[in-house]
Amino acid sequence: MYGGGYIYDPENKNQAPIAEDPEKLAEFEAKIDNGEKIEPSDWMPYEYRRQLIRMIEQHAHSEIIGALPEGTWITRAPGFKRKMALIAKVQDEIGHGQLLYAAAETLGKPREQMLNDLLSGKSKYSNVFNYPAKTWADVAVIGFLIDAGAIINQLANSKGSYAPYGRALKRICAEESFHLKQGYEAFVYLATGTSTQRAMLQDAVNRWWPPIMHFFGPSDKISVHTEKLIRWQVKMDTNDNMRNDFLEQYVPKIWELDITLPDPNLRKNPETGRWEYTEPDWDEFFRVISGNGPCNKERLDVRRWVEESGRWVRQALFKPNEIYKVPLA
Amino acid sequence: MSSLDPRINRLDLVKTAQAENIQPHQHWETYEVFVQAKRGGHHTHAGSLHAADHDMALIFAKEQFARRGQCHNIWVVKTSNIFALNTEDADMFAENNEKKYRNTGGFKVSDKITQYKRSHKHTQPDETD
Amino acid sequence: MNTQALKEMLCKMGDDALIMGHRNAEWTGLAPTLEEDISFSSIAQDQIGHALAMYTLMHEHLGEPNPDIIGFSRPETDFTCCHLVELPNSGYDFSLIRHFLFDHAEILRYKALTNSAFTPLAQVAAKITGELKYHILHANTWVRHLGNATEEAKARLQTSLNTLLPYALGIFEPSIFEQALIADGIFIGENALQTQWMQTIAAILKQTALHLPDVTTIQPVYGGRRGYHTEYLQPLLTEMTEVFRIDEQAEW
Repeated sequence: MYGGGYIYDPENKNQAPIAEDPEKLAEFEAKIDNGEKIEPSDWMPYEYRRQLIRMIEQHAHSEIIGALPEGTWITRAPGFKRKMALIAKVQDEIGHGQLLYAAAETLGKPREQMLNDLLSGKSKYSNVFNYPAKTWADVAVIGFLIDAGAIINQLANSKGSYAPYGRALKRICAEESFHLKQGYEAFVYLATGTSTQRAMLQDAVNRWWPPIMHFFGPSDKISVHTEKLIRWQVKMDTNDNMRNDFLEQYVPKIWELDITLPDPNLRKNPETGRWEYTEPDWDEFFRVISGNGPCNKERLDVRRWVEESGRWVRQALFKPNEIYKVPLA
Repeated sequence: MSSLDPRINRLDLVKTAQAENIQPHQHWETYEVFVQAKRGGHHTHAGSLHAADHDMALIFAKEQFARRGQCHNIWVVKTSNIFALNTEDADMFAENNEKKYRNTGGFKVSDKITQYKRSHKHTQPDETD
Repeated sequence: MNTQALKEMLCKMGDDALIMGHRNAEWTGLAPTLEEDISFSSIAQDQIGHALAMYTLMHEHLGEPNPDIIGFSRPETDFTCCHLVELPNSGYDFSLIRHFLFDHAEILRYKALTNSAFTPLAQVAAKITGELKYHILHANTWVRHLGNATEEAKARLQTSLNTLLPYALGIFEPSIFEQALIADGIFIGENALQTQWMQTIAAILKQTALHLPDVTTIQPVYGGRRGYHTEYLQPLLTEMTEVFRIDEQAEW
């Protein structure tokens, strides 16, 4: 699941631009303009590598942390079909994390370092996973709507210029389609079920709507920074466009089941063809991303437990004399 | 702290509230995975993974790279045992398609045959007979 | 064919697989490495799938209710799983050793059942045996590796093995229908299965620094097959059925 459009990049503002070899840069940009993909062993600008590592790493963290809110319901999923599908889905999230860490590793940052940066808070993950999954209906909402948002973001990014990321995302998108289907089915069963089921679902939708609106990130100001990332095909679409695509595709599917969304201003403007909505509370977004959301502490504590409790296993089979080589793809 | 996840409540999170840094290579070395979808087909590169040795790499590869769809066999190779050409030198291949003498398209005889038939028509039996 | 005997056998096989899969799925998202997380999660999914397969046979051939009702709405005393699968997880060593002991019994059981006189079971067993081959490869690889690794790893595995062996012997608690199952050609019987199992696990453990305790001195933990359970099963069932019980008639 889950890139989200927002790349956390606190250092960038203070950093002096790196002077790149103009000839190599021109060659690199010509390749991208030609629609060619960049492979790990190709020359690339420092800023391209840095931004990609951040983005892919953040995406990978989002997968393994994203496994936790839904994992909340693994032992309680109602019935065989839901139980097996949920375990398979959470397994996929870990699998996606695995693929994405490998893609980021091709850029030269080892998995261990990425995990350390996650645990120390230096590197972030999608904010949406700092919210709790309170009832079974949350699983349906996450599986349907967060995965839907993720697909929009990831389909766009899969066409980006960095080949290993694109390859990973193609496979991830195929698996996300299964997530979306199983999430949508669970959503529809609740929406068309008993009054208790409908009430559970409506409550979950109400709680998840603000984080979903935050999911694509704040409105992009077209800065030089964004422009360069778009030119280099690192960022493939603006946050606002992706949010609009999401609303266009999924709001009608929610409304047709008579499930309401907690935003009185939400509507499609027939003249512009774009969706209008109440501006999400971005202060809340930044408050949560800087560590003060309802589940930030638990999420990182759990990942720390995973690393610590698994340490003896990894240590037992650790070969100190092996030469580490960056994976090829 | 009480989690909404009963699984998490059964873990001892307090003990691990402070974690040591994960040392380099603690997650082991990397292997490249090649998957053969069908008997008779090629093994195709599918991605890489971290494993302590090739036996572990194989059991991991099976589920990470072949848990859906058809699969017949898997190879794993330590990344450090793979050697590649420099991608900057890809222009070595640029003339490949120009070398028509290596390709079927470089050998066309139909014009010759047509011309031959036309010029020898009087000595040939009529094909439509 | 003695349907009561058959029903009892399918039920205990389904219950073992369901509770084992449930326990193993508690690791999904939390295992020692990402790659192992994926592998062990598949094993848990397979096990829950095996439970579904057994309950489906009971539903389709023996007049029992649908698998969700069998799995999610029976009282604890109707469950006939062995105590081995009920024990809560602790360290990864505990889960790996349990997986090793349990899945070796599973593959031998299902292999034997591919010749069962109850042909619908024989057909399902052939498919399940293929999946279990991976479980065995996975379990053996881990046990061989960790069982020859650091002192800490060997000590952890040995402790888990010592703890779990009496429970593992409980897998083979004989049924009152043992003779009927053998006479009808449905199954080879728990005794024969236990003998095969002992030979197999002893051969693997021999390749490690681990020591297999003398089983003749061990009292097997029985009772599960007759509906007597550890203190851990009821809380597990309460948790597992929490959502389902909100409305058992609803479609989830």
